[in-house]
Amino acid sequence: MSETPIRVMVVDDHPMWRDAVERDLQGAGFEVVGVASTGAEALARFPACRPHVVVLDLQIPPPTGVEVTAQVLRQDPSARVLILSASGEQQDVLDAVKAGATGYLVKSASRTELIDAVRRVAGGDTVYTPGLAGLVLGEFRRIKDEPDPTPRGPDGPPSELTDRETEVLKMVAKGMSYKQIAERLVLSHRTVQNHVQNTLRKLQMHNRVELTRYAIAQGLDDGEQPAGAGEDRP
Amino acid sequence: MVLRLAVLANAVVLNVYRRDNFVHPTAGLLLVAVMVLWTAYAAWAYLAARRRTWPLLVADLAVAVGVLVATPAVKGDGFSATVPGFWVMGALLAWAVVWRWRGGLAAGVLLGVVDLAIRRDVSQSHYGNAFLLVLGGLIIGFLGESLRYLAAERDAAQRSAAAAAERARLARAVHDGVLQTLALVQRRGHELGGDAAELGRLAGEQEARLRSLIRDQDAVADARRAGTLDLAAELARLDRRPGVSVAGPGEPVVLPAEVVTELVAAVAACLDNVAAHVGPDAPAWVLLEALPDRVEVSVRDEGPGIPGGRLESAVAEGRLGVSGSVRGRVADLGGTATLHTGASGTEWELVVPRGPR
Repeated sequence: MSETPIRVMVVDDHPMWRDAVERDLQGAGFEVVGVASTGAEALARFPACRPHVVVLDLQIPPPTGVEVTAQVLRQDPSARVLILSASGEQQDVLDAVKAGATGYLVKSASRTELIDAVRRVAGGDTVYTPGLAGLVLGEFRRIKDEPDPTPRGPDGPPSELTDRETEVLKMVAKGMSYKQIAERLVLSHRTVQNHVQNTLRKLQMHNRVELTRYAIAQGLDDGEQPAGAGEDRP
Repeated sequence: MVLRLAVLANAVVLNVYRRDNFVHPTAGLLLVAVMVLWTAYAAWAYLAARRRTWPLLVADLAVAVGVLVATPAVKGDGFSATVPGFWVMGALLAWAVVWRWRGGLAAGVLLGVVDLAIRRDVSQSHYGNAFLLVLGGLIIGFLGESLRYLAAERDAAQRSAAAAAERARLARAVHDGVLQTLALVQRRGHELGGDAAELGRLAGEQEARLRSLIRDQDAVADARRAGTLDLAAELARLDRRPGVSVAGPGEPVVLPAEVVTELVAAVAACLDNVAAHVGPDAPAWVLLEALPDRVEVSVRDEGPGIPGGRLESAVAEGRLGVSGSVRGRVADLGGTATLHTGASGTEWELVVPRGPR
């Protein structure tokens, strides 16, 4: 619908794979504005390339895909990160999503799935696999069970899902499409999309709150005992 | 070293306190000075491993014996406490630590014999002290030996753990490369069609198998209590079946082994049913959710649904099939199996309570 093609950057350390993805994307009308084979290359080239979407492999030479995700989004919050991972290491995928990635695909996904995913991620949508939905559900259960849950202060973001969000996420994890979910729950497609996006947003928010709390805790420790602080630093 | 200083301080204070016991106070003072100097020297000498050689140890023990032997000369024959007292412990411990129980025993016996030999009359407590000296040397020697053994064992364990971690890291890198290649072959094969498509299909199968092998290995790496299994890992194995995708929390869900086995068997029966009634490659989704008080497993397909009453009539005809293998198994675990079925597919929902964790 838009005249300007979607600008994409491909980060993967396997040249054959990178070329294949690049070809597929170009064939579908995307503009591949940059490629990189390591995390360092990706971060160095990102500012000049200004891609809308970064298609990122998680297992790349350092810095890791998770770090690249965080850095890239700090530099340009309007960019989108789509994780394309071979082995689907669960913790890595979850970490990348917490760092702000809004899409995840396994590499065995077909060409059409990849192209569809890039298009949706570029449009601000989230691309969940059933596997990722299961992980995110599990993560929210874990957060809820934590002995010291993030307090829901007036400024604090809610770190729990609403019943509806949980319901929608469960359906995604059971392999249902947004369309099927919309039909089942008698909602509009857009509303289902919003619910799914909210779940990721809450997870990322929770992650940021956790990181800030950690940073504050560390900072206070350092300030209070400047002499002996070195001993209990990890 | 702290011990050496402590026993030195003890000896010095005692000797100063009982200075009127000395027959020759000047010689006694000299003797105490020798002890102080030797302690300082020994403290420095023992610090570095390369200086901890036999001449130092022999000299250490010789000084201790020498001070003991000199006691009658400065204190007179009828003394009750030797000048060094507990100070001889330093040399004894050094021998025990370096030469193990043999060193401890030798030094203990020597010091004990000398201590008894220089006394005019040997009382019960003198003998007791000497015996304690010998025993102490022995015990410290033994402890030193077993500590060293433990340290060696710990080093070996740490080395092998580090080696295993490195192996795992390498395996991960290799696996990742293989998975990438298989995925690529699969994709290109599908696009090319013909024989290449068959190649692609094979690559896809191998990719799925390798993926679940890696997951199994991760589950093994997490050593668990005996008699329990990780339900998440066991269910994840099921995605080796064509068309099946398994979702679950990223963390292990540890339950008694029999609960896991039965639950996995029930899920497998649901999937068998999908394969039989919808198609061998029909897509199906398994979702595991671990709640504090229960686990929920759902199995969904997009088949034509199970006609109402079919399961009941099958039971009536004596074919237990799905009812027995799903409902029966879950009921035996104290849980419930609910079936939702309609034109858009079938969904089993298995809920099993978790015992107190």
